[in-house]
Amino acid sequence: MNASIALGVIAVIVLGTVTFAIASVRRFTMTPQEYIVGGRGFGAVFLWVLLAGEIYTSFTFLGAAGWTYTFGAPAFYIMAYGTCGYIFYYFLFPWIWRMGKEHGLLTLPDLIQVRYQSRALSTIVSIIAVLALVPYVTLQLSALQIFLTVAGHGAIDPVLGACVAFLLIIAFVFVTGLRGTAWASIIKDALVIGALLFVGLAIPLQFFGSPATLFDQVLRAHPERLVLGTLTSPKGSLWYVSTVLLTGLGFFSGPQSIAAIFSAKDENVLRRNAMFLPVYQLIMLLIFFAGFSALLIVPGLKGAAADQSFLAVVSRYYPAWVLGFVTGTGALCALVPSTALLLSSASVVAKNIAGDLFGIGLDEQGRLRITRLMVVVIGLLSLGLWLVYRTSLVNLLLLTYNGISQFMPAYLFGAFWKRVTTAGIAAGIVVGIVLAVTLAATGNAPFGLNPGFIGLVTNVIVVVVVSLVAQPAQALSPEPVRD
Amino acid sequence: MQRQLRFLLAAIPFGALSVAVPFVNHVEPRILGLPFLLAWIAFWVIVTPGFLWMLGRVEGHW
Repeated sequence: MNASIALGVIAVIVLGTVTFAIASVRRFTMTPQEYIVGGRGFGAVFLWVLLAGEIYTSFTFLGAAGWTYTFGAPAFYIMAYGTCGYIFYYFLFPWIWRMGKEHGLLTLPDLIQVRYQSRALSTIVSIIAVLALVPYVTLQLSALQIFLTVAGHGAIDPVLGACVAFLLIIAFVFVTGLRGTAWASIIKDALVIGALLFVGLAIPLQFFGSPATLFDQVLRAHPERLVLGTLTSPKGSLWYVSTVLLTGLGFFSGPQSIAAIFSAKDENVLRRNAMFLPVYQLIMLLIFFAGFSALLIVPGLKGAAADQSFLAVVSRYYPAWVLGFVTGTGALCALVPSTALLLSSASVVAKNIAGDLFGIGLDEQGRLRITRLMVVVIGLLSLGLWLVYRTSLVNLLLLTYNGISQFMPAYLFGAFWKRVTTAGIAAGIVVGIVLAVTLAATGNAPFGLNPGFIGLVTNVIVVVVVSLVAQPAQALSPEPVRD
Repeated sequence: MQRQLRFLLAAIPFGALSVAVPFVNHVEPRILGLPFLLAWIAFWVIVTPGFLWMLGRVEGHW
């Protein structure tokens, strides 16, 4: 009974949003330009909604609370890194956008191709970009599965839940596209604010009286959870600094973010968004409250189960429709960003690998067909990763950042350093990725640093050294940055 | 001069949220009930739009 109420509420929320999105996009014809970069016509408000929609995902909702529950203060990095990302990309947005506008670019590898004039490099970047997004889609899938399983009160087993989640995500992408995503995220954001005020404010108030008394109690029960560990300890202070730098500098470096930047109407739309989006990060405070509350109310959840912490509180102490509302909102937080992630990585394969490399699907219809096929293929890869590698949501996110952050030097030097060479960028990306993946896979973290950060620093050093040693092959900068 | 100012307007909040954090890694003093570390991060997130607004002013975008 409870399960059907909760699942029913989820169905209403998801179907309602899809209907709204379809009704809103019907006015536009779906060319690849429209499908992938929204016709390059998004104004400040619409872009804000799109960015908020794809940046604040089910990770924000579940993963951050789960980490607060398990580790405490290390989760605070999640509030800081986005803000650092906005500050850093304030300086890079205009260059990236202008390149896109002047050359009619659709994807991240297009940008690399135009700036560095190397098919080999843009192909490597395409492959890494697509592979790096797979764990991010897995994260959304995994979260959607958790919402379905919790709402189903055990009636849906996790594997079935994941398969249903996969089908939902694919269906959602097929019917919406990027503009539909932005419309859907309007509803998503409104519901998220409601759901977060409930889990992050109503729960602490009801159980503890106020956030201050919540922290008094956390302090009494787990005094070590409210600060970071010593400098070089695992998830200690150096880990925090290196993780904020890695994820902040890589914040807009993924293919989905480059597509979002291209979809802006002009440069100032992007600058305004960099200025206003940090406000959204404050929502994280409510998530931290929810995670700490769950730690005191339902202690003892371990590993990936901690990602369900505050849902456990809701399902134990509140009526089924409340659980349905919270999990339904969560489901939108998984579906909406998945659309942007799948579309951008699928379009990279369709345009940069199938089209540019193999000459397949060069007309609009062909490209659209391959994009849709790749949405399914990449979705299946994500489902496969979920089946073989169950881990916490934060670990999946960090896996993605280890990959996409390595593209940052290509934008930074591409925009501001005329002397940079194609060989330097290629060597930097390869060395950075190999180092980050090797360190992460072997569980090596010298001085407690984030392995992806070590990869990124090495990447930058390699770019500079190789570029200075090798003479630039041709004049590469088509458009120097105006000051 | 303008170059330094632009650099500072970005570097101050960026640094406060990243490299400065090991130096403010305390629970006390609590601010509005929050542990100091969390209050520090929240404070800099709140004031960052102000810094970026000034940056945009200095650069003449608004």
